[in-house]
Order: sequence, then C-alpha cells, then structure tokens
Amino acid sequence: MKMNTLVIGAACAALLSSCAATVPLELTNAREAYRRASNGPAAQVAPAELHVANQALAQAELSFQKNPDSYQTRDLAYVAGRKSELATATASINIQQAKEAQAKNDFQTAQGKIVKDTKEDLNQTRTALTAAEQTGAATSVALAASERSGNLSAQQLAAEKAARIAAEKKASDAQMALAKLGSVKDEPRGMVITLSGSVLFASNQSVLLPEARTRLDQVVAVLLTTRERNLTIEGHTDSQGTDANNLSLSQRRADAVRDYIVAKGYQADLVKATGLGEGRPIADNAGPEGRANNRRVEIVIARDVHASNP
Amino acid sequence: MKNDHQSGSLSFVLAVVAGASMVGCASAPPMRTESSTSGIRAAQEVGAEKVPQAALHLQLAKEELERAKKLGADGDKEQGSSMLLRAQVDAELAVALSRESAERTEAQAAVGRVNQLLQENK
Repeated sequence: MKMNTLVIGAACAALLSSCAATVPLELTNAREAYRRASNGPAAQVAPAELHVANQALAQAELSFQKNPDSYQTRDLAYVAGRKSELATATASINIQQAKEAQAKNDFQTAQGKIVKDTKEDLNQTRTALTAAEQTGAATSVALAASERSGNLSAQQLAAEKAARIAAEKKASDAQMALAKLGSVKDEPRGMVITLSGSVLFASNQSVLLPEARTRLDQVVAVLLTTRERNLTIEGHTDSQGTDANNLSLSQRRADAVRDYIVAKGYQADLVKATGLGEGRPIADNAGPEGRANNRRVEIVIARDVHASNP
Repeated sequence: MKNDHQSGSLSFVLAVVAGASMVGCASAPPMRTESSTSGIRAAQEVGAEKVPQAALHLQLAKEELERAKKLGADGDKEQGSSMLLRAQVDAELAVALSRESAERTEAQAAVGRVNQLLQENK
C-alpha cells in the first residue's frame, strides 16, 4: 500500500512536471513492466523483488521530475524496468521450484503408495499361496488317506479273498487227502471218513495196529487243519457175535481211535466216541466182503465250527 | 607597490583555485566495473548463452559494459557509471532467466516422472 502510494505520487508528480517534457521510452517501458509484474504472481511469490522494482521505479520517476531528459533518468528508468522483469523472473523461478518440489513430493507419495500396495498385494498373494498350499496339503493328505484307505480296503479285500481261497484250498486239499486214506462222503450230518476195521484192528480186538497208527497219523494231520470242528468217532461191527459184544467192541474201538486223535493234539472236548455195534450196516452181512465193509470206524466231521460236543 | 601587492594576491587566489581544481580532478570517483563484469561472468557460467532470452540480456550487458568503458575513457565517468547500472541489471536478469529456464525444465521433468510412475503402475 505504502509502495503503491509512493509510486502513484511519483507518477502524478511526473505527470504534472511532464506537461512540458516528453516521457523517455525507458520510463514508459519501466512503468509497463512494473504494472505487469505487480499484476502477476510476483506480488505473491516474489514480493521482495517487486519491492525493489517499485523503489527503482520511484527513483526513476523522481529523477524524471528533476531532469526529464537526462541520461540519469533514462538509465534509472531502464534499471527500474529490468528490476520489474527480474521480479517476474524470480516469481517464475519460485513457482517452478514449488512445482518441482510438489512433483517430487507427489513422486514420493505415489512411490510410497505403490510400495505399500505392492506389499499388500504381496502379502495377499502370500496369504493366498499359503492357503492354497495348506488346502493342497490337506487335499494331498486327504487324498493320501483316501488312497491308503482304498488301499487298505483293497488289501483287506485281497487278504480276505486270499484267506478264503486258502481256506477253500485247504478244505479241498484235506478232502483229497482224506479220500486217499479212506472213503469220504459228504452227508447231512457232516463229512464222514470211513476207515476199514480190518486195517485198524485185529479180529475181535480194540488195540490199534501199527499200520493203523500210520494211517491214523495221516488222518489226524488232516483233522488238525480243521481242529475247531466237532468230531464224532463211530465204531461199527458186522453182525457176527452177540449184539452186546459188538456194541462193546465198537465202543472200545471208537474210544481207541478217539484217544489216539486226542493224543495227537486234537482238542479232547471236541471229540466224541460212540460204539454203535452192528446196528448200522452199510453192506450185506451175508457175504465176507459185506461184513468186511460193515466192520469199520467212521469219523464224522461236523459242518459247523466250534460248539463243543455235549 | 600597491599594484604589486594586488598582483600577488591575485596570483595566490589563482593558485588556490588551480590547486583546488586539480584536487577536484584527482578526487573524481573512479568507474567501478567489477559488479557488471562479475554479473556477466555469472550469467555465462549459468549457461545464459544457451537460453535465447537470457542470451539477449547477456549481450546487452556486454554492450553496455563496453559503452560504459568508452564513456569513461572519453572522460564522462558519471555517465559511464550510470551506464554500468544498465550492464549490471541486464547481467542479473540474464542469470535469473537462465535459472528460470533450468528450473522450468527440472519441474517439467519431475512432473513427467510422476506421470510416468503413475502410468506404469496403473
């Protein structure tokens, strides 16, 4: 305000005094330069330089009042004009510096935001990756467990199948082995092995012959493979002699076989001996061949597993 | 005798005036070109010759310096010193305009870097 008053005062004085004098071009230019500078950004961002320009212009105006046509007035006006241009240039410098500083600040802010966003993205990616890995691991574990379970089931099935096949083969082998030792029949009461009495015992005796023992050893070996089944040893005679003798003889013979089987390792409570005498012939007692067939010991192997003999 | 006395007094006054005038000539301020010269050198150092508007004012400063020197050499040291003010202020303006150009370039580059950064990270 004070500056403007000073300039306006000097300009008015110059105007009054210049009625007779021509304003030099330098002063006209200086006034215009100052007007531009004071109306531009210099007033805000380069006030010190603008003040210097103002003082220079005032000095030129005063000189113009005293010596309108002097070189001092022209030079001072020239300097005043350049001082105004300096104020404008300085204002532009300050503006560009502020612009650059703002740009650098924006750059740092943008860079910081980018770094932050990148870190967040990275963290999210890591989290997602970890979750995916965990899910994958869980899936793998589940898959492995499933595979193991499947394998286990398959293995169990295979084992059961193998066991079943083995059991069937074992039974088949046992049946075949027994068939070699004597007559084997599959009857409703069970599998019946018929051993000839003449092979096992001497006539009217209940002591096992040596050959019988060998034969029974083979039978026992087969029976021991199915040791969990109930056995019934039945003694049979032909029709010669009294019934009582035959019954007694058949019982003793059945007992002899039973004792031998138990002695060889078969569970005693599963083996029952019964003397049936001549009551269940399988052949005609009229001929010697028929009677030979009727003199026999039958080993009945129960179908059901377990269940001790009463 | 009286004329001799008057004649002696006049000689004394003339001698004093002459001496005074000689003293006056000896005490006239010498022309100081240092500020103008150093201003021109500063403008050259900041690259004013490469900035058109600054180069113009640098050239003016040089011409004004030479004119001032010539005025001084011609015995018009006062006008020469006044002319040196022109040379000095033109040199200052050349420096300012050079700086303004450099600052503008740097600011534009800084803004360009920001835009590029934002563009690359859209």
